[in-house]
Amino acid sequence: MDQFFNVVALGMLLGGTYALVSVGLNLIFGVIRIVNFSQGEFLMLGMYGAYLGYSTMGLDPYAGAFIVVPALTLLGMVVYWLVMRPLQNEPMMQVFASFGLLLLIQNVVLAITGGVGMSMNTPFSQVTLTIAGVQFSATRLIILLAALVAAGGLGLFLAKTNFGQAIRAVAQDRMAAQLMGINVERTFMWSFGIGTGLAGLAGVLLTPIYTLSPQIGGNFVMAAFAVVVLGGLGSVLGALVGGFIVGLTEAFAGYYIDPELKHAVIFIVFIAVLLIKPSGLFGQAGAEEVGLREQS
Amino acid sequence: MSNLDLAQSGALGDSRLAGRRGAAEVWTVANELPTFFAVVAAIGLAVYLLSNQFFYLNLLTMALLFGGLAVSWNIIGGFGGQFSIAHSVFFAIGAYTAGNLYKHFGVSPWIAILPAMLLSAAVAAIVSWPVFRLRGPFFAIATMALTEVAIAFAMHWKAVTGGASGLTIPYRAGLENMIFQQRWAYAALFLGYLAVTLLTSIVILRSRLGYYLQAVRDNDKAAEASGIPIMWTKLKGMAISAALTGIGGVFFMMYVRIVEPAGLLSLFDVGVKIPLIALIGGISTIYGPLLGALILVPLDHWLRAFMGSAVPGGNLIVLGLILVLGSLFMKKGVAGALRQVYRAWSRQQ
Repeated sequence: MDQFFNVVALGMLLGGTYALVSVGLNLIFGVIRIVNFSQGEFLMLGMYGAYLGYSTMGLDPYAGAFIVVPALTLLGMVVYWLVMRPLQNEPMMQVFASFGLLLLIQNVVLAITGGVGMSMNTPFSQVTLTIAGVQFSATRLIILLAALVAAGGLGLFLAKTNFGQAIRAVAQDRMAAQLMGINVERTFMWSFGIGTGLAGLAGVLLTPIYTLSPQIGGNFVMAAFAVVVLGGLGSVLGALVGGFIVGLTEAFAGYYIDPELKHAVIFIVFIAVLLIKPSGLFGQAGAEEVGLREQS
Repeated sequence: MSNLDLAQSGALGDSRLAGRRGAAEVWTVANELPTFFAVVAAIGLAVYLLSNQFFYLNLLTMALLFGGLAVSWNIIGGFGGQFSIAHSVFFAIGAYTAGNLYKHFGVSPWIAILPAMLLSAAVAAIVSWPVFRLRGPFFAIATMALTEVAIAFAMHWKAVTGGASGLTIPYRAGLENMIFQQRWAYAALFLGYLAVTLLTSIVILRSRLGYYLQAVRDNDKAAEASGIPIMWTKLKGMAISAALTGIGGVFFMMYVRIVEPAGLLSLFDVGVKIPLIALIGGISTIYGPLLGALILVPLDHWLRAFMGSAVPGGNLIVLGLILVLGSLFMKKGVAGALRQVYRAWSRQQ
């Protein structure tokens, strides 16, 4: 039974990681409907940014977040303006362009670092808490906490603020939003930037846990897409719940079936959900089609 | 033949143009055949001329393979507008079917083509049925997920795939084994493959299925309202496309004689590269995907050799840039750009 609870705890912590990675993607993919394959690369840049702050200024990664996250928000906005904005009405071209960005960013980092794996520590790295025989690592708990805060914050932001309402309005009907005087392109630019900034935040918080490599983004981005579609497009709560589902599935499949097959199990669950409820668990019915109808 | 000849003959023109050609004239398969034979003969001549230059011959062989794969993909991806990134899965199914039948049962790869096609088409139909509920980018993501599942299974199912260390085929030269001593024979083999895919693509484009697929791509609601069975059309297109891709897998297996899941199912080296080639050449045209392969495969090779050795990942930096700039400024691919040049030129006349 102890084993079972350990697996549950592992799944919850892993789920927190996936949820955090997915919250940003949810904004970009779920709300403004851009399939951004390079999302994982922004996460990777966040990790390297934290490392840079650590190695040059001795900055703790958690403190480095205050520099890295705004920087990546800005970078995301620039990328949106230069690459995604001209392709607004061509979702397939956006897919290709974002894949090109993936190759570009990944290999520029590879060229600069020479592909040497790096890792770093914070005072929290070695700390584990033991509650009723179940172990939690402090760094993972911080991520779980951050995921909850980020999801809650984003949810409140979208629901309560003027700007959040503008984002939702644009997501629902671009034309009508424009007629109401919302600056659509600026709204998209900010949404994209916030999305990449959140990916950067996830990256920063992951640095104490994972070894840095230019390819690391790929480990998370597929799972993140699964989480967003699973939870429901545009639903912040969905991203959170979806993250936990994927995390728990991975932990259980890895422990009880076969670690090699854990990814297969996730994606089978993913495809099964698409079959039964294409709009995801918390998405509005038909949300998977609405985005396309608006764009075409 | 020059590319301009292609453009002039309308070979690079898409079907919508064809309708406008003459008031009552409908462009049929017979109209396409002269260009088809000219293209195949021209490439055949190139194979003959290069038959002693192994470096260029190998490049041409790979370009023909990827040309054939991109032409196959174009049937569902271009005509049908369903951007599958999962064609590597059908490619792998073809390779593993031929490899295992040959290695364990001594079945000639020529015979293995049939089960490889059937298996690829069957898997394509079964997995596409749920995935086709999704449209556009959502479809692309779901096919990407499919690739992940396939990699996990291929790594796990060692009896069939040999796991991470791969599946090897003993070298026994002979026509019946589809293993040749002469390098040019492989070029000829892949030219044959390309010809089959091109011909299938022409026949489909000029048949009811081709028009159905394009109608579904351009506006699926309107297509449905006009009585086109959307799901059935997409499934048919996908199954044919996958079957052709499976044949490519069979030939590839016998060409390299060693395959491993990471390479065969690689998202970039196969899954995305196939649509990318079609995109660069010109999606939804008949010869665009071939053109793309003739450009991208040598370019990729050259970048790997020169940029890759100078800076780690340098070749992929350039390729990434090409991809971003291509999707921004050359949305219709090289074929589309040529057509624009040709139109501007003919307007001046």
